[in-house]
Amino acid sequence: MVPQIQFPTLTADLIMKYKILKAIDISGLNFLSPVVRLIAQEDPRKQLHEIGRFIIVPIVAFAAFLFLWSALAPKHRTKAGEVPTPGVVWDASKGVWLFHKRETAKADAYLMNSAERRKTLQQATTRLARLDALEAEANRQISDIKAASKEKFDAYVAPSKTAYDAKRAEFRTAKINRENSLKEKAALLATQGTDARIAYLARIRENAVTTEQEKEQLKLLKTTYTEAQTKTFPEVKKAQQAITKLAEERQFLSKYSEMLGAGSRESKTTESESLLAESKNKFLTATDGDFYRLGNTVVKSEDLLATTETSHYAKPWTLPKQIVRSLLCVFTGFLVASAIAIPIGILCGLSPTFMAAMTPFIALFKPVSPLVWLPIIMIIVGGFMPEPENHWLVKALDHVPILKNYKVDPMFLSSALTVALCSLWATLVNTALGVASIEKDHLNVAKVLRLGFTARLFKIVIPTALPLIFAGLRISLAVGWMVLVAAEILSTSQGIGKFVNDMYTNGSSESFAQMFVVVFIVGIIGMFLDRIMIIFQRLVSFDTAGSAI
Amino acid sequence: MRHVEIFNLVKSYPNPFGAAFDAVVDFNLNIEEGEFVGLIGHSGCGKSTVLTMLAGLNEISDGGIVVAGREIDGAGPDRAVVFQSPCLMPWMSAFGNVMLGVANVYPHATKAQRKQIVEYALSSVGLQDAMDKYPREMSGGMQQRVGIARAIALKPKVLLLDEPFGRLDSLTRMELQDVILEILNREKITTVLVSHDVDEVVFLCDRVVMMTNGPAATIGEILAIDFPKPRDRADMMKDPLYFQCLDHLVSFLTERAHLRTEPRIHDSTSLLTFTGKKVETTSHQNHAVA
Repeated sequence: MVPQIQFPTLTADLIMKYKILKAIDISGLNFLSPVVRLIAQEDPRKQLHEIGRFIIVPIVAFAAFLFLWSALAPKHRTKAGEVPTPGVVWDASKGVWLFHKRETAKADAYLMNSAERRKTLQQATTRLARLDALEAEANRQISDIKAASKEKFDAYVAPSKTAYDAKRAEFRTAKINRENSLKEKAALLATQGTDARIAYLARIRENAVTTEQEKEQLKLLKTTYTEAQTKTFPEVKKAQQAITKLAEERQFLSKYSEMLGAGSRESKTTESESLLAESKNKFLTATDGDFYRLGNTVVKSEDLLATTETSHYAKPWTLPKQIVRSLLCVFTGFLVASAIAIPIGILCGLSPTFMAAMTPFIALFKPVSPLVWLPIIMIIVGGFMPEPENHWLVKALDHVPILKNYKVDPMFLSSALTVALCSLWATLVNTALGVASIEKDHLNVAKVLRLGFTARLFKIVIPTALPLIFAGLRISLAVGWMVLVAAEILSTSQGIGKFVNDMYTNGSSESFAQMFVVVFIVGIIGMFLDRIMIIFQRLVSFDTAGSAI
Repeated sequence: MRHVEIFNLVKSYPNPFGAAFDAVVDFNLNIEEGEFVGLIGHSGCGKSTVLTMLAGLNEISDGGIVVAGREIDGAGPDRAVVFQSPCLMPWMSAFGNVMLGVANVYPHATKAQRKQIVEYALSSVGLQDAMDKYPREMSGGMQQRVGIARAIALKPKVLLLDEPFGRLDSLTRMELQDVILEILNREKITTVLVSHDVDEVVFLCDRVVMMTNGPAATIGEILAIDFPKPRDRADMMKDPLYFQCLDHLVSFLTERAHLRTEPRIHDSTSLLTFTGKKVETTSHQNHAVA
């Protein structure tokens, strides 16, 4: 018998280390591997060097970016205030999250049952009572701070004020003097000839020009002065922000208490029930009266009760919810794109004739911008759904577990289809390339084994093409995510794009900062989507080829 | 009994700007059942072309090939091939690669039976403990073992080896030669081996077909190697006949391969009667010149 081949055995520690390193490699987080190797005490000098290059350097670069941003942003003033600094953007992101949390709390409060509701209501009332004291304290603080900084403020404003006042007085007297002298000369003109009169005209013109120049100068000084007046010192700003925060909390708590109290579903239901009982009673016991009217009232009360019992708090769209909807939209589009692109790509790779037939379409439609596709698709989808609420597709999607909470409408479908149309090309071309680049040796093996078409397709062709198919899918998902935000802005479909559009229309300095928050959120989500696709790509790659980061 | 008959085999490639290019012409060979035939010749002489035509992977321009009484038409599992590169599917384990063919060739076997066939084939090439390994986890030699297991698991009528050890180091090559001999001693499969390694063909083959240089390559000489089976490498190396055979092959390749002659057929035992290879070669050269 032929001797069997033996494999060397590894210690448990080494196996653990290699497993971790392999996981890091597959997930494309290669910057972590020197840390693992360092912990395993493998060539520390080299590992420290690598940590320096792949962890420290990126952190330093990002810190430098934040520093530059903080330094440069306040220098540019816009209609929506100064360009926000990193700190302001961070605060804005906290604001976005707080809004989401409060709206969710309200929605929950609306549905609470009696015992829990009363307990929570009590907590809210206690907090509200405490707010009074807090607000009084904050107001006292701000007046203290203002008083303290009054001197500083005056000293800050004084130079521009004195400069302005002095110039104003100076110009005023100068103007009166000039006018008086002109008037004196005018008295003499009655006896003088043409030349003198024409010369006088020039003097009047000169006076007008001087007056205009003085006005301009004064205006500039005035601007500096008013700007100085609007100056708020950081400590004052901070105190004001604290007050605003407290006011916002008060507003929330009062609304929250209402949701927990009279405004809750439970209270409303009780109210409707008593109304119904009353109207029913009236209808049944009345001996004389308009039974038609009374009966109608009973039926209406019944309807009201039914709607109240299943009603929900009309929660506004918050950014986290919009993000989830955007993700659902991009995945819907991505699924449609994959379902079209992979089969067509395989056919293209298998048959050069089919590839020739598809080439003009690929070449023609690939470069078309999503901004052109979207309006066309919106109209076409609209044509299929004259009454979206009653359309079978919308109704069917209303029963899909997650989708039903995110109100699928024609706008959602149009955005998803736009994503699909713009992103499918990368997958299609890559799939075709993957299938066409199958090794001749493997085909020979298939011939010798006389594999049928399906066995050849699923056992040889598709596995060969899988790494490239996933490379294509990865590009498609990235393109789709970029396209989606643009599509949502244009279609005003609820999602990240809609949020950006709303913030743009809003135009306050806070919404300006929130748009910066969106930049980072879109970036981070895009990065995660890409990572996920890299992992998939690595898992289906049978060779150890490295991937781009 | 003639198991494989190759008659008047021609491979010519059309040339749009002149006469067709003949790679192989007038190739005639009969192979007995259970015989191990080697094809040897210089690079590009067309030995692989003959093998791929026999496998059905290359179209036959003229003539024909009959295997077990039927003329061949295209490739099929009755003529299993072990390629020069292992040609394993990298996304399948050793077991999966062998099963790929087995599932197709034994459509009526039960799952358990197929599994048994695959396991038997893999253990006969020494890979009992490596069935779940993927090609990337195996050395070149191990991958080629899987290639051999995939071929023999098909229970072919003819086993075709297309320079199967060409890319392996000499130690691994010897190991695999022993593996092949071991299997063939048991299974008695008719085998054709293409190689350019003279030691290998002398050690493995019953007959060695020496091909002349291309273009229009054909059979130059055929040498029967009458060592008893099973063969043992160490014993053979001690036998002067072994070196006579080597000498004969080398002298053909270096001195006579470029000549056009009628095919000469030798028996290795007859080589011993010659006083030396010089006599043999001279007579042939004279013959060719005359």
